[in-house]
Amino acid sequence: MIGKTPRWTIAIVGVIAFIWIIPILGIIVTSVRPPQDVTLGWWRLDTIRFTLDAWFRVWSEYPLASAFVTTAQLAFIATISTMLLTPAAAYAFHFLKFPFRRLMLIIIINAFVLPQQVVIIPLFQLWRDLGLLDNFASVLIPYVGLSFAWSIFLVKNFLEDFPKELVEAGRIDGCGPLRIFWHIVLPNSLSPIFAVAILQFLWTWNALLLPMLYLRTDVPLPVLLTRVSGTYELNWDLRSVAAIVTTIVPLLVFLIFQRQFAVGSETRTGAKE
Amino acid sequence: MAMPVASAAAVPGSERALSTGGRHRPPVPRRRRLSDVAAAVILLLPVLILFGVSVIYPLIDTVRLSFYDIKGLGKPIFIGLGNYVRLFTDPAFRNTLVTTLVFTLSTTVISVSIGWAVAMLCNFAPRQTTIFRLMIFTAFGVSEAVVGYMWISIFRPDAAGLLNSFISLFGLPGFAHPWLGDPDTALWAIVASAAWGGVGLPLMLCFAAVQSIPRTVLEAAYMDGAKPFAVMRHILMPLSLPGVRVAVFINLLGALRAFDIIFVMTGGGPVRATETVGYFMYRESMTQFKLGYGAAATVVLLIAVLVISIPAIIQRTAGAK
Repeated sequence: MIGKTPRWTIAIVGVIAFIWIIPILGIIVTSVRPPQDVTLGWWRLDTIRFTLDAWFRVWSEYPLASAFVTTAQLAFIATISTMLLTPAAAYAFHFLKFPFRRLMLIIIINAFVLPQQVVIIPLFQLWRDLGLLDNFASVLIPYVGLSFAWSIFLVKNFLEDFPKELVEAGRIDGCGPLRIFWHIVLPNSLSPIFAVAILQFLWTWNALLLPMLYLRTDVPLPVLLTRVSGTYELNWDLRSVAAIVTTIVPLLVFLIFQRQFAVGSETRTGAKE
Repeated sequence: MAMPVASAAAVPGSERALSTGGRHRPPVPRRRRLSDVAAAVILLLPVLILFGVSVIYPLIDTVRLSFYDIKGLGKPIFIGLGNYVRLFTDPAFRNTLVTTLVFTLSTTVISVSIGWAVAMLCNFAPRQTTIFRLMIFTAFGVSEAVVGYMWISIFRPDAAGLLNSFISLFGLPGFAHPWLGDPDTALWAIVASAAWGGVGLPLMLCFAAVQSIPRTVLEAAYMDGAKPFAVMRHILMPLSLPGVRVAVFINLLGALRAFDIIFVMTGGGPVRATETVGYFMYRESMTQFKLGYGAAATVVLLIAVLVISIPAIIQRTAGAK
């Protein structure tokens, strides 16, 4: 910035940053070294051999591929549903007049504080009575339903700055509320919708508690990982591959779309005032 | 603020359309236009149904169930406040409250103070530290279950555990320890892991806050001969407080709800030493099938969450136009 950059600040930040990636480095290195070489630690340099053996074997040892597909399906359906339903609701709350509008809005946008522990007992009973346990719907419904608490707030916040003239013009040209939404508001609100999609995708991909309780046969990656790492076998190489596979997609999405993520999470939590 | 009432249906457009729509209406043949209420029903119906099923119904039902004694599939028996009386006389639950308090506060304090400090330091050299910030931020993008897995391997009691090896490097073999197997250290091991993942958000928010400080303010301070440390202490830190406040709130909320990392790292053990309220309710309801008892613990968690959320709720409610 202004001429004086104390070198030591960069050094300190650098040291912290390197400490910070050690755990990540650990599982990556463990996944590409033969298990017998790392019994004294993945950082040991006594024998340096590189192998992708674990990366090939893991698919037959654990149902990792099917868990990957399950996770992708769940995350994809939940993200698309939220992307479609959220802007419609945010538009209705912002531009339309109807009874109990403000009351409903207040309830929805404040629900973001609720922990997911609140839903698990009632929904467990409900799904059990309806025979929906082990059905994808049992997790997709709460994934989408819980997302509205923050997603509607995020999109509606964006609409506060939406040029009213555009909406007026549409109205004057004889557009009804639905056509105004579809042809005017929706095409011009893609950036908050995209931010919503990123947050929802990350959240649903990483979800553990709900799928662990409601799904049995086809489980997503985080659930599979907990099952795998709970065993006492000494297959740290295989487990590390499973851990990397679990987190690689959300991690890349997170890093590539940092900007949208930042915008989204700031608005989501009310940091933007 | 006045609630829009049913009359909005009778007066399509209301005041917004009245100002312009009345006079400038074009002479095109008017097609029948959907009223606001009808359109709102169409647009909101799926959202309200899903929200009702997954938020409103569970919320009400959790509170209702907390007044019942439910054993597995047996018939629920109404016992009033019985579950709550049992909770607060249950030594395991009282222990859980302490664990929750320690876990929530220490995770938040550690993660926010590191994130804040790094953001302050980065501000002196934003460009040169971009890659370092990205490295710390990366931890924030790792799935919570995977964070737990990574840290299990660091706290391993055998020779391949990084922490124990690091300690023995300094010739302190006496300090080698089964960190996750000892009730006295397991919670702190989880705190460290959760804080590792939690630094990203405070770093991001605080860095954004200091970056938005006008350059002229800092230039003026340097002109007046302020040392970098004084600038940090008297300008950067106070002006980044809004970011800190938000980060504290989010991390508090996140730590209170924590489940994944505890489940993966210790499963609440050893001897229930790492059970927070959010984990206790899972254990009682989903592994012991005491649904009513678990629901009562959930209500306690809910009250804690609502208490720390009061400022956020007030702010949101006031801002809901």
